Amino acid sequence: MKNMKGDKLFIILFLAPAVLITSVFLYFPFFENFFQSFYKTDGFFNSTFVGLDNYKRLLADEIAKKATLNSLQLMLYVAIFQVGIALLLAVMVDSIKVGAGFFRTTFFFPVVISGAAIGLLFTLIYNYRNGLLNEILVSLGFERVLWLTEQSSLYMVAIPTVWSYVGFYFVIFLTAIGKIPQDFYEAAQLEGVTGFQKLTKITIPLIVGDIKVCLVLAITGALKIFELVFIITRGGPARSSEVLGTYMYQKAFVDANVGYGATLAVLMVVIGLTLALVTNKLMKSEDITY
Amino acid sequence: MRRGFKKLGLLSLFMAMLLVVLAACGTDTTEPEKTSSDTETPKESDSKVEETAGEVTNASIKVVTTMAGTDPAGAVFEELLKEFQAANEGIKVTNESQSADAGTIRTKINTDFTSDNEPELMFYFNTVDAEGIIKEGKVIDLENAEGVDLSGYNSMLEQQRNADGKIYAAPQTGFYEALFVNEKLFADYGIELPTTWELYEKAIEEFAKTDIIPVAVSTEDSYYLVEHYALAAGGMENYRAELADKNAAWAEGLDLIGQHAKMGAFPMDAATIDLSIAASLFQQEQAAMLFEGSWAWGSIKEAGIGENVTVLPMPIKSGGVTGELVGGASQGWFISTKAYNDDTKRDATVRLFNFLTSEESILRLAGATGQIPAKGELTDIDPRLAVGHKLIADAPAIDAPINDRINPESFTHMRTSVPEVVSGAKTGAQVLDEAAAME
Repeated sequence: MKNMKGDKLFIILFLAPAVLITSVFLYFPFFENFFQSFYKTDGFFNSTFVGLDNYKRLLADEIAKKATLNSLQLMLYVAIFQVGIALLLAVMVDSIKVGAGFFRTTFFFPVVISGAAIGLLFTLIYNYRNGLLNEILVSLGFERVLWLTEQSSLYMVAIPTVWSYVGFYFVIFLTAIGKIPQDFYEAAQLEGVTGFQKLTKITIPLIVGDIKVCLVLAITGALKIFELVFIITRGGPARSSEVLGTYMYQKAFVDANVGYGATLAVLMVVIGLTLALVTNKLMKSEDITY
Repeated sequence: MRRGFKKLGLLSLFMAMLLVVLAACGTDTTEPEKTSSDTETPKESDSKVEETAGEVTNASIKVVTTMAGTDPAGAVFEELLKEFQAANEGIKVTNESQSADAGTIRTKINTDFTSDNEPELMFYFNTVDAEGIIKEGKVIDLENAEGVDLSGYNSMLEQQRNADGKIYAAPQTGFYEALFVNEKLFADYGIELPTTWELYEKAIEEFAKTDIIPVAVSTEDSYYLVEHYALAAGGMENYRAELADKNAAWAEGLDLIGQHAKMGAFPMDAATIDLSIAASLFQQEQAAMLFEGSWAWGSIKEAGIGENVTVLPMPIKSGGVTGELVGGASQGWFISTKAYNDDTKRDATVRLFNFLTSEESILRLAGATGQIPAKGELTDIDPRLAVGHKLIADAPAIDAPINDRINPESFTHMRTSVPEVVSGAKTGAQVLDEAAAME
């Protein structure tokens, strides 16, 4: 009992810095943001309490609706392709004997490049007049193509978004697959299990916990997409690729309407939490230990 | 047990260090506390600027301006600060200038003023951006401040007068926005310069048939485009209208952008490029015309095409006279009330203000950028820059950019809706209605 008391003291002392820092830099700003959403304010000198006006405006805001749908669409691409491609690559790299280190570095490399640099890179790739893709087409005798149109802009933004973070999930999956004991595969081989069956019957079921974590990270992370859209399309053309992150930034920092920007931020938090909870619920499974 | 205490001691030490680090990140509280009476204008006897001029004063002054980054005035400004400090031993000036690009300066200034960390002196936008600071009494009325020298200014000083009749900002230079034209491309293709609305439309038609983009613009980042088309559609009288008027000329201006886009006036990807990419098309001589401000001369010369470029006023379609300009002096020097009421800083701040707004300093700063000085006149300037100065001198009317005087949210809505006007999803009048509803 005496020892338990000592443990409690240590627990409190160890947790205190983390609690302090998260409270100051995460929870306080969040509650402050929630508080600001009830004001018409520029965040500095002008502030008027408007009750639920910002939320009423949000419900009627067509651009916010479009931005929400675009964010959800991007979330779908990210969940399917980022996690899917990462899993595929991890299985492939795990199965090769030579050059695994090279592929591991190559696939992980985009993760360490800043979003702004990737955004600029793709701006220069898609540029109509002097962009890489059109220069290649022109040199091959083809006409220039307008890559960023109202129909295509969201897909064109999804490409670098997926590419830039595949490596992160790839490393998680590779590590998870590496932890599966070889005995399982050897036993399966004796039973006559083929390569693809090994993937579906052994590998995937044994790393389903990691897949779940990656999906939750990808889904919640998709709501934070900002810099790539902001740099590559500026949310356009005609707001066709506007996402919640860029719209919130525009309202809060370009338009100096911090109150409405805060309301959009609250919406992002609500959507993120809801989807994370739903994903967790749907993918609930018993932890596998081996 | 002793070992447990040792661990506990180490942990406590770590916690204490963490608290010290966090505390060190906080605001400097060494400033003397101010009471509400401190914000009033000080009594005459408090101010001894004239008497103390030349005496050694010990003070530390923070200055925030937009003369940083790629602004050619930045280097001259640094030189001026060094000269001032050499001549005024004991006064230490900290330069916290930031580039005006991306609007981060607005966030810095607002944050500094709301966190009681305002600069003693700032060179900032005397537009809708400074409204909150002025309303809160955070900057002083320069005309009624002891020791502040406002003599020698041209008409730009009067342009700074606030709606309440006071002058809070002293101008440095004036600017104009206009149509930058690559004369060489016009000559090469045998097209007449766009000195009238008809010739402007003719130039669009003719260049659209070639590989040259008629006008390098971004239709999303369309500050200059919206302003100039509103001016062209109704002349200065309509341009000066309030947003709430929902002036028909503004709506027509937006519709004209849509019409010209269909004629092939703008880059194919105008809806997704920004101003800098649009400007680079002009600098690479892939576009014949560009809407920009007088500050663009620096990058035009840097691109090596200065000799080929001239500047023309936006041709007016109806309701005004070609020659009317968007321009003025939207930035000025402000002195913070906090600095002026601080006996330890007032003298040094006013001295630095008078030094930076002296005719000599203004001419040196204006000389670096080619802008029009608010005091005196530049001599021996580049003939290309002189064309712009003549535009200002000959202008029948000049007024500030629309975004300097209307609610930022409304203006953003107007400019970011231009691609929808171009695609036909909205009309100019519809966009104007939506923007007016945001005010």
